[in-house]
Amino acid sequence: MMRFPTRKPNAFHLPSLAAKAMAGTLVALSLSTLSLTAFAADLPEIESRGYLSVATEDNYAPFNFIEDGNAKGFNTDMLEELRNYADFEVRQDILPWTGLLAAVSTGQYDMALTGASVSDERLRVFNYTAPYASAQHFAIKRVGDDSIESVADLSGKTLGVQAGSVLLSRLPELEKMLKEQGGEMGEVVQYESYPEAFADLANGRLDFVIDSAVPVNTLVASKPDVFAKGPAVSGAGYVSWPIPKSSPELLAYMTKFLEHMKETGRLAELQEKWFGESFPDLPDEPLESVEQFHELAGLSD
Amino acid sequence: MNASAWQMLLEGAWTTVWISGVSIALGVTAGLILALIRIARIPVVDQILVLYISLARATPLVTLALFIFLSAPTFGLNLDRNVAGILALTLNTTAFNAEIWRSAFRNFSREQREAAMAAGMTPWVTFRRIMLPQMMITSLPGLINEMSFLIKGSPAIAVIGIVDLTRVTNRISAVTYEPLPPILVACALYMAAIGCLVWLQRLAEHRANRLAT
Repeated sequence: MMRFPTRKPNAFHLPSLAAKAMAGTLVALSLSTLSLTAFAADLPEIESRGYLSVATEDNYAPFNFIEDGNAKGFNTDMLEELRNYADFEVRQDILPWTGLLAAVSTGQYDMALTGASVSDERLRVFNYTAPYASAQHFAIKRVGDDSIESVADLSGKTLGVQAGSVLLSRLPELEKMLKEQGGEMGEVVQYESYPEAFADLANGRLDFVIDSAVPVNTLVASKPDVFAKGPAVSGAGYVSWPIPKSSPELLAYMTKFLEHMKETGRLAELQEKWFGESFPDLPDEPLESVEQFHELAGLSD
Repeated sequence: MNASAWQMLLEGAWTTVWISGVSIALGVTAGLILALIRIARIPVVDQILVLYISLARATPLVTLALFIFLSAPTFGLNLDRNVAGILALTLNTTAFNAEIWRSAFRNFSREQREAAMAAGMTPWVTFRRIMLPQMMITSLPGLINEMSFLIKGSPAIAVIGIVDLTRVTNRISAVTYEPLPPILVACALYMAAIGCLVWLQRLAEHRANRLAT
């Protein structure tokens, strides 16, 4: 039988509850990160279950974007090639960048088929297939903004960059360049994605935005009366597909796939089509360690 | 903006509406059930519910959605994205709705309840015939308020790849580099959805007032 008490229940003890709640969440989070690598599927499992599941993006032109409701871009074409090449099915899910790499590292997907820049932090969790595009970082400025001509002019200016990105983690390189010339970093504003940053650059809230070579070219080509390419603000960088470290056989498989694409000339064709150049100087081997990446990119430790 | 952009926006609006709608329906019902269980003050169960309610009210939606989606493989679950999104929204809104229902219950007039008892009604009949109809009317403003918060908070589920209305504006501006037009249309669509809710609330209140007099 239901009881209908009329007396007032005890008031909540919020502070202690909040503390308990936090502790509970932390424990749950650390548990889930501890056991994460066990679930990303390597090649034998992919072949036995019959499909590979990949995560791609939706707002990073020209790598992955949506036009007229359909996925387009370099990686969409590469995915098509992979589907023809592989003898298993390739399942694709489109995710926003924010949770994408976390979803791959926790095993929700087997690999990320995106334009992911290589970084030290990511190399500790992922291996990368051989780079397919350069990711040297450039400043983007407003057309007609004569105050920015060289790196030294960037001193003290407000900049926009994507949160959680390699562009953000390589900002110290720009800081070093500025310091050497007696300048200093201006305010850094982080954005969830680039369209907002470009809008803020156009309306004057930012002085410049940092993005890597390919998207800079694409942006400037599509809005030549608003944006212009500024100076390079980092050393060499690479764009490639991250694969969890726990899947070495999948990495070997994708390396073979890329070699096949290079031999048939199709890779160069797609690079020309989407990036405007074929980047012939990129390394041919997959990236598996921080040391290897530093040596290739000419970064000093 | 061209025709396909409009179509994408309408599809995004539909996603927002159906996912929010399912979550609202689940959340209002589950909130009522939780409130009743809490009022029964069953030991242990009550403490667990208090913990759940304070946890759910303190967790940002984005965090909750990401946590559910990312932890699913760890528990061996193959969770559909829409299911994960609905689960996150429902878990969040249920906690708030439970408190709204509970306060309506606690403020219910003792006289009416005693009168019902004197007329020989069982507690279940008293609840269904006397209390629930009046509780619905007193809770309605709070519930509608919470529903509009849920709709406005729903872009959070885009983080796990659900293409809701706000995500569509992002996709469009990623190609056009002009975010303002799609955002303005999205605002108008959100306002229309919430306007519908407020209109329904007014309709329900009118009807209740007619019945009461």
